[in-house]
Amino acid sequence: MLKKIECIVQPFKLEEIKEGFREIAIDGMTITEVSGCGKQKGHLENIKSDKSINFLPKVKIEIVTEEERVEDIIDVIQRLARTGQIGAGKIFVLPVEDVLRVRTRERGRSAIE
Amino acid sequence: MAFNLWHNALELLNNVAKKVNLDQVAHKRLSKCVRELTVSIPVKLDNGSFDVFTGYRVQHNTHRGPTKGGIRFHQDVTLDEVKALAMLMTWKCAVVGIPYGGAKGGVICDPSKMSIGEIERLARRYTSEIITMIGPERDIPAPDMNTNAQVMAWIMDTYSMDKGYVVPGVVTGKPVSIGGSQGREEATGRGVTYTALNTLKHFNMDIEDTSVVIQGYGNVGRATAELLYKEGCKIVGVGDVYGSIYNPHGLDIAKLGKHLTKTGTVAKYSDADSIENKDLLELKCDVLIPAALEGQIREDNAEAIKSKVIIEAANGPVTPGADNILRQKNICIVPDILANAGGVTVSYFEWVQGLQSYFWSKREVNLKLRDIMTKAFYDVLAISEKENVDMRMAAYMLAVGRVAEAIKIRGLYP
Repeated sequence: MLKKIECIVQPFKLEEIKEGFREIAIDGMTITEVSGCGKQKGHLENIKSDKSINFLPKVKIEIVTEEERVEDIIDVIQRLARTGQIGAGKIFVLPVEDVLRVRTRERGRSAIE
Repeated sequence: MAFNLWHNALELLNNVAKKVNLDQVAHKRLSKCVRELTVSIPVKLDNGSFDVFTGYRVQHNTHRGPTKGGIRFHQDVTLDEVKALAMLMTWKCAVVGIPYGGAKGGVICDPSKMSIGEIERLARRYTSEIITMIGPERDIPAPDMNTNAQVMAWIMDTYSMDKGYVVPGVVTGKPVSIGGSQGREEATGRGVTYTALNTLKHFNMDIEDTSVVIQGYGNVGRATAELLYKEGCKIVGVGDVYGSIYNPHGLDIAKLGKHLTKTGTVAKYSDADSIENKDLLELKCDVLIPAALEGQIREDNAEAIKSKVIIEAANGPVTPGADNILRQKNICIVPDILANAGGVTVSYFEWVQGLQSYFWSKREVNLKLRDIMTKAFYDVLAISEKENVDMRMAAYMLAVGRVAEAIKIRGLYP
């Protein structure tokens, strides 16, 4: 079964994470510069519910992979994206119905291998 | 066992009945087991002679579905013990909301003094003697003390031979090659881990600042240690029958695993201090996980317990007397029927997969297990907070309430 891992991390952690992926032979991924907030509404000090929403810059990494590899990838992100601070990131795992490689018309597993 | 487990189970039911204002009909019916079968099991021994063993199969309640419960081979098995454990299974299945009643089985024997062949003949003849009671839609056995996946395979084979076709759904805890589930082996430990993590979250305890002591390093203790270690907890003490070890900076669980494979015990592991088994439970820690036998924390050592939380991975590791002392010390106990229900939950998954002959990936099993364990934890917590009772009473109130509702709705036949 194919899964997609979407993670939002601190931009300055991207290089380390990229290196971590290389070590476990993950070679396909998509990176996007994004901005957003969590339950702190983008404020770095204590939560105050009446504060306005503030978006902070983050990086989103997307990887489509076989189900068996999901935990290894999560391990890498969890280990390397940690900052010891709030706002270090989130990891989402989503089901992927199908993958198609345009050039070769391959589908499914072979389209990402 | 000095005290009678069955009387103990009844007393517990009576206490819960008062709390939830249990309907009299339900109370009376739940105070009895619906079926109790005693069988004699003649077995040819390797030396040419033969022996006759005594075995039991008890079904406590069938209102929420077919019954489910392990089979144990042990010299101390009694009918009262089997009845009490069957009742416990009713509550355990109800707490996590899986559609079973409780059952239990046991054979009085000492498997450590028997050959594999003798154990196989015993298991097969026992199956044959209780065959009218079991079946995928009636009563589904599982492994328990001194029985394992191989014994389940023999039970499944014997039952299938009798029927004339393969019936994988008659037992759970089977090897994966004949219809067992991915993740069944570590399921109880994984369930304990989810429960521990939910408990930490509830108390706002940081995973990485949490020190854990685990008593028992068999199937359940080991899986729990490995999973909690992976989550970032500091496992400071563990022990098995051969001895205990302590390292206040945290044990390297991967390295300990290698030592265990080599020596068969966690004792004498080099990167830790050796300590007496009785001292293990009294170590200073945040979370204490008794994952060995029942009755480990008693009135005589409860006062010395220093953890903030106890997660009962074993069945009945805290005696009722100790329970009172620990409550006064404000130690939160997450009870066995909630904490160790991961095993029966994945057994349920195995049964479901067997019935539909369609099998899930390990990840699917683990995610579904996490959902069920987490929901059960918060269900129990909500009752605990609303009714101002401890987690054990809350779990029993939830369980007994669910079974009582099923009894009421189904009514009385005829």
